[in-house]
Amino acid sequence: MFTLTNQERQVVAFLAAMALVGLGADFLIKKYIPAKSLAPFTQDLGKIDLNRADKQLLMAVPGIGEKLAGRIIAYRQKQSGFQALEELKSIQGITEYRYEKIKGAFFLRQ
Amino acid sequence: MKRPLVSLAIVFSLGILVASRIKIPFMGLYFLAALFLALILFPAKTGCRFSLSLLGLCFCLGALFLKNAQGLLPQNHISRMIYYKNSQLYLIRGMVSSEPEVKNNKTSFFFKTQSVQSANLNRSCRGDILVYLKGGSKLHYGEELILRGNLRRPFARAGPRQMSYRDYLYRRNVYFIMRVENSADMFRLNRNKGFILKRLALWLKHKMEEALFRYASPLTAAISAAMILGEKTNIPWFVNDAMMKSGTLHILVVSGFNVGIISFIIVLFLKLFRLPRQLRFWLTVFLLVVYCLITGASTPCVRATVMSVVFLFSFLLKREPDIYSSLSAAALFILVINPMQLFDIGFQLSFVSVLAIVYLYPKLKARCPAAITKVKPWQGIINGGLVSLSAWLGTAGFIACYFKIFSPVTVLANLFIVPIATLITLCGLSLIVAGLVLPGLAYLFAPVCELLVSALVAVNTLLIKLPGAYLRLP
Repeated sequence: MFTLTNQERQVVAFLAAMALVGLGADFLIKKYIPAKSLAPFTQDLGKIDLNRADKQLLMAVPGIGEKLAGRIIAYRQKQSGFQALEELKSIQGITEYRYEKIKGAFFLRQ
Repeated sequence: MKRPLVSLAIVFSLGILVASRIKIPFMGLYFLAALFLALILFPAKTGCRFSLSLLGLCFCLGALFLKNAQGLLPQNHISRMIYYKNSQLYLIRGMVSSEPEVKNNKTSFFFKTQSVQSANLNRSCRGDILVYLKGGSKLHYGEELILRGNLRRPFARAGPRQMSYRDYLYRRNVYFIMRVENSADMFRLNRNKGFILKRLALWLKHKMEEALFRYASPLTAAISAAMILGEKTNIPWFVNDAMMKSGTLHILVVSGFNVGIISFIIVLFLKLFRLPRQLRFWLTVFLLVVYCLITGASTPCVRATVMSVVFLFSFLLKREPDIYSSLSAAALFILVINPMQLFDIGFQLSFVSVLAIVYLYPKLKARCPAAITKVKPWQGIINGGLVSLSAWLGTAGFIACYFKIFSPVTVLANLFIVPIATLITLCGLSLIVAGLVLPGLAYLFAPVCELLVSALVAVNTLLIKLPGAYLRLP
């Protein structure tokens, strides 16, 4: 028989309960959370759909930081999406030079 | 029971073993475990019910952990989204989750997936895949990538008695291999993802490896890197083969032997600074964890690190250190993280060898005549021989079964090779530290390392040439 003090027993019971609750939660997550549909990457590997990309994906483009990504998303929401890549130039912080640098990273889904 | 952790580890392992052989529904096991938990929480006058309930709960938890890791793949697991028979191209976004290995103009690494796209459908996913990228590419752990390539299942065993690569990868929760034919099929996104401590450890490992290869010859650097940093990719095949024949391959992987030396050096080094005891303890634990991450956190290294930490805790809490309890704590730690490790050769050899040494060595020593064991010059040799014999007796069956080789020369080989390996580890570490901090001193350590590595290879070659040194089994 285990010779444990009351406190030790409480600790053991707590750890076992936590393990059991954790396993149960993980089981439910695995069983009931389905795969989400995301904005597709283009067939040209690495190009990002400007009208669907999330903030993190936009920030992955060299030259786009958190602020600029936020402005792109704000513009997109305001204008109900980009019609042409040139519209990027009308966003504050995207100069002609920066536009030339980043335009190759995007495409617009037809 | 004097050692409750030992019983719990055994029962937990039994739960894993039974769940792997018998089909038991997850929910049934879960309710049984909840019942045992209720019995534990319900106060009892006698300790008997508590002990039995705890053992029952531990058994159920072992089985549940295995079911959860192996049997229950999430709805969004990558293996549920791949139709591997039509071998179409997939685009996968994710993160490099292991240190990339470059060998034979091919880069391989584990890749933690986030989303997968086929045709125009992009879905979120989880799960790891193994990636083979053509050409050597300077990738790092924690890099976020988009990869394009074919996916296939790993090959299964060719025969019923052969080891299966598919099983090996399944035990690591890897169900698919991706082949990326061209570096143009790889788009690099973010470089700084992943666990920051692991990134730091791997950066440190690269620096240490560079220092070794800068000052030592390729063979010496490769053997030292394997012993100290757990980097085995550069070891020539003939060295690997010779060590396998002599049964001393264990010195080329980072195990308890290396972690023991590192712990000793850390403790000694920190003592020089006369730091307070508690601070010294926490620093040692931190440095051991970093070292474990540097070496790739292989099973033997994790086992040794957990054992060392338990030992350090026992000194801090002024409790008597117990090797069986610390071994059980290490086993539970590894099995809770990945219960499929129970079926891994590395796990089995690592635990069996330590258990054999701890259990058999005192018994064998007691049978030796006191006249020999108490004579000073013979003491070290006899003790070393008995430790080696104990480990060999414990692991010989496993090695014969898995690697089809029986090496009686191992006991003798360890007597010579372990002291040389200890010296190589100490000298290699000095070379690394000198190479990083005082490059002028590195030139002093490099020739000593060269000499020791040459001695190691020569002794090993000589020993495997002895008649009956090793036998290949059918």
